Amino acid sequence: MAEDCEELVFDTIEVAFFPRIRNELVELLGKCGLSIEEGVDTFVTCRFEGRLVGCAGLEANIVKCVAIDPLARGECISLKVVSEMIHVAHDLGHDHLFLYTRPNNISFFAGCGFYPIVEVPGLVTLMENTPIGIRSYSRSLARLRRDGATVGGIVINANPFTLGHRYLVEQAAAGCDVLHLFVVAEDASYFPYRDRFDLVREGVEGIPNLVLHPGSEYMISRATFSSYFFKEKNVVGDCFTAVDLLIFREHIAPALGITHRFVGTEPFCRTTNKYNADMKYWLQADLSGAPPVQVVEIERTEYGAVPISASEVRRLLAADDFDRIANLVPPTTLQLLATKYRTPRVSAA
Amino acid sequence: MKLRRSMLFLPGANAAMLSTAFVFKPDSIMFDLEDAVSLREKDAARMLVFHALRLPVYREMETVVRINPLSTPFGLKDLEAVVRAGVDVVRLPKTDTADDVHVLEAHVERIERECGREIGSTKLMAAIESASGVVNAVAIACSSPRLIGIALAGFDYVMDMQTERGDGTELFYARCAVLHAARYAKIDAFDVVFSDVNDDEGFLKEVDLIKRMGFDGKSLINPRQIDLLHNAYAPTQEEVDYASRVVAAAEAGERQGLGVVSLNGKMIDAPVIGHARVVLRRASASGVRQ
Amino acid sequence: MKIVREALAGTLESSDLLVRIAPLEDGLELVLKSEVIHQFGPHIEKVARDCLARLGVTQALVVIEDKGALDCVVAARVQTAVSRAVDEWTPDWSALS
Repeated sequence: MAEDCEELVFDTIEVAFFPRIRNELVELLGKCGLSIEEGVDTFVTCRFEGRLVGCAGLEANIVKCVAIDPLARGECISLKVVSEMIHVAHDLGHDHLFLYTRPNNISFFAGCGFYPIVEVPGLVTLMENTPIGIRSYSRSLARLRRDGATVGGIVINANPFTLGHRYLVEQAAAGCDVLHLFVVAEDASYFPYRDRFDLVREGVEGIPNLVLHPGSEYMISRATFSSYFFKEKNVVGDCFTAVDLLIFREHIAPALGITHRFVGTEPFCRTTNKYNADMKYWLQADLSGAPPVQVVEIERTEYGAVPISASEVRRLLAADDFDRIANLVPPTTLQLLATKYRTPRVSAA
Repeated sequence: MKLRRSMLFLPGANAAMLSTAFVFKPDSIMFDLEDAVSLREKDAARMLVFHALRLPVYREMETVVRINPLSTPFGLKDLEAVVRAGVDVVRLPKTDTADDVHVLEAHVERIERECGREIGSTKLMAAIESASGVVNAVAIACSSPRLIGIALAGFDYVMDMQTERGDGTELFYARCAVLHAARYAKIDAFDVVFSDVNDDEGFLKEVDLIKRMGFDGKSLINPRQIDLLHNAYAPTQEEVDYASRVVAAAEAGERQGLGVVSLNGKMIDAPVIGHARVVLRRASASGVRQ
Repeated sequence: MKIVREALAGTLESSDLLVRIAPLEDGLELVLKSEVIHQFGPHIEKVARDCLARLGVTQALVVIEDKGALDCVVAARVQTAVSRAVDEWTPDWSALS
C-alpha cells in the first residue's frame, strides 16, 4: 500500500563514521549475497520501523551494493531507494552514474532508468543512467572518423609521456592509414590528466595521420575498469578487463572504423601485461556481435638495453635524477617535470 | 455549513498519493508542504500541489494546504502558489498569536488582488501547536473573518509543554481551550492526528472522546481512518429520528412566525436546533452508525 | 530560459516520473522512456514540450523516465527540473498552469 511506503525513513551516511550502521549494512548485504565494498563511502539507507530494509552505495559515480531485505521486498522500497540514491548522487555532483549488475537484475535497473552499455555474456552488464550516454559519445567520435583500409587505435595513460610512448605511436602510425590516439582521462595517476594530455599533444607533434582524442568515462576509467563485480563473485582473471575491452570493440571501434589496436609490450607492470593478454581475447575472439579488432603488440623501445617505462621515469623523478630522465623523455616532458614536479633539494649549506 | 469531520493529510511531495487520494472522499483533503516534505523537496512539492489543486477532481472537494511557516524561506512561496492555484483553505502551522494570522491575511489579500481572485475567497485555518497558541486561542480564533477553524497539533504542543503524547491527559487543557475558542468564535475545531495507523481500537477511543467533547473533526494521516471516523460521527437511528422532529418543528415554527419552537409541549432552544441540524448533516453524509 | 546546470526532479515511483535536464548547445532534445509509451508516449512528450516552450527553454537535453504519471505530475516535474537548472528562478504561476 502506498501509505505503508510513507513509513520508510531514508538517511544518507558516510559509512566510515558509523561502525554500528556499517555492521547493519554488512548484514543486509549478506542476506542478498553481497558484501560491503571498501571504496563505497556513501550509503543511502532505508528503514522501516527502525529496521534497515534497503541500501544503495556510491563510490564516486558508480552505484554499488544495492540491496533490499528479501523479507521486505516490494517494488516501492527498491524504487524509492534508487530514486533517493540518484538524488543524493546529484547533490554530491555525480549526474552520470554507472552500475554493474548480474543478468537477472538488468530488468529491475532498466526500470530505474539505467541502460546497458555492454554485457559480458552471462556474467555481468555495465549500465549507465542515461539512454544517450554511450550513443552520443559514439556519435561525437564518428564525427572524427577518417577513411582508410587500416585504421588503428591506441590508448595510453602517459604518466608521464616518454620516448617509449613516442616510439609506440610512431610505429603504429607507420602501420596504418589513420591512427586514433586516446589519453586515459581518469585522474588516478601521479600526473593529473590535464598535464598528461598536454604532454601527449606536444610529444606526438609531427606524426602524420594521427587523430588525438581526449579520454572519456568509457575507456579505462573507474567505471569501465571496476574490479567490483569480479571480486565479489570470485571471478578473477579473464573477466577483469572484459567490460572495458568490449566497450572498445562494440562502441568505440565501430564509431571510428578502427580495425587494429596497438599496444606496447610491458615487461614491468603485471596489470598492463594482463591487460594486453586479455585484449587479444576480448577484441578478437568470436564472442560479440561487433567485428573483431586485431591486436598488434609493439616491442618497447630501449635505452641502454633497458625498456623505457613511465614508472622508471617516476622513480628517477623521486630520486631527482634529471640527468637520466633526460635520456627517457622528450624535451617537453623534461621541461614540465623540471619546472612543476621537481622536489627542491635540501641545501647542504 | 460545511461538514468537516475528516481532514486527510497528504504528503505534498508524493506524486502517487496526490494522483489517487481523491477516491478516499474525506470531508477535506489537506496537502502538506510542511513537516511531511524534506527540505530538498520543498520546491518540488509546491509545484506538485499547485498542479494537483487545479485538477477537476480536487476542485470538487474542499482543499486545504498546510504551508510552511512564513518565518521560513518557503512559507511565502507556498502561499503565492496555492492561492493562485485556487486552494479553498490555507492552513497556517505554528500559530502563536492573532498577529500571525493578520500577517498571513495581508499576504493572502495582496495575492488575491494580484491574480484577480475574489477578495476573501481564500479561507484560513490556524493550527495551534504551542502553549502560547493555546493561551491566545480566543484571540486567534477571532482574528479574521477568513478563519473557518482552528486545529490543535499535538506533537509540537507536547514538546513545548515538556511532556509527551500519552493517554490524552497531556492534551486535556489544550483541547478544552481550543474548543472553547472555536465555539466562541463560531468556527470549527479540529483535533490532533492519531499516529498509530495500526491501532484501530485506540483511534476509535480517541475519536469517541473528542466527539463527546465537541470537536467537529480530526486530522487524519491514513485513508483507512476516514470510514472509521465517519461511522463514529454518524448518529444512531434514534438520534436521527429525534433530530428530524426537532428540525421539522423548528421549520414549522418559522413558517408560522412563532418566536418559540416547541416539541411535545416542551420549548426547544436555538442550540438544540443547531445541534439537530448537525446530526442530520452527518447522517446524510454517511448514514446512521453501524 | 537558459539551462546552466544539470538538474533532477521527481522519482522512479509508480505514478511519478524522473526528469533529468542538462545544458545542450544545439537545440532541444527530449528522450522519453515510459511504461505506457505505446499508448501515451506522444501525449506525454507533448505535455513536456509544451511546458518547456512556455518556460522558454529552447536549448536542453531532457531525459524523462515515466512511471505512468498524470499530465499534471509531468508538468510539475518538468517545471521543477527547469527551476533547478536555471540561474535565477522567479515563478510566473500563470505561465505554469
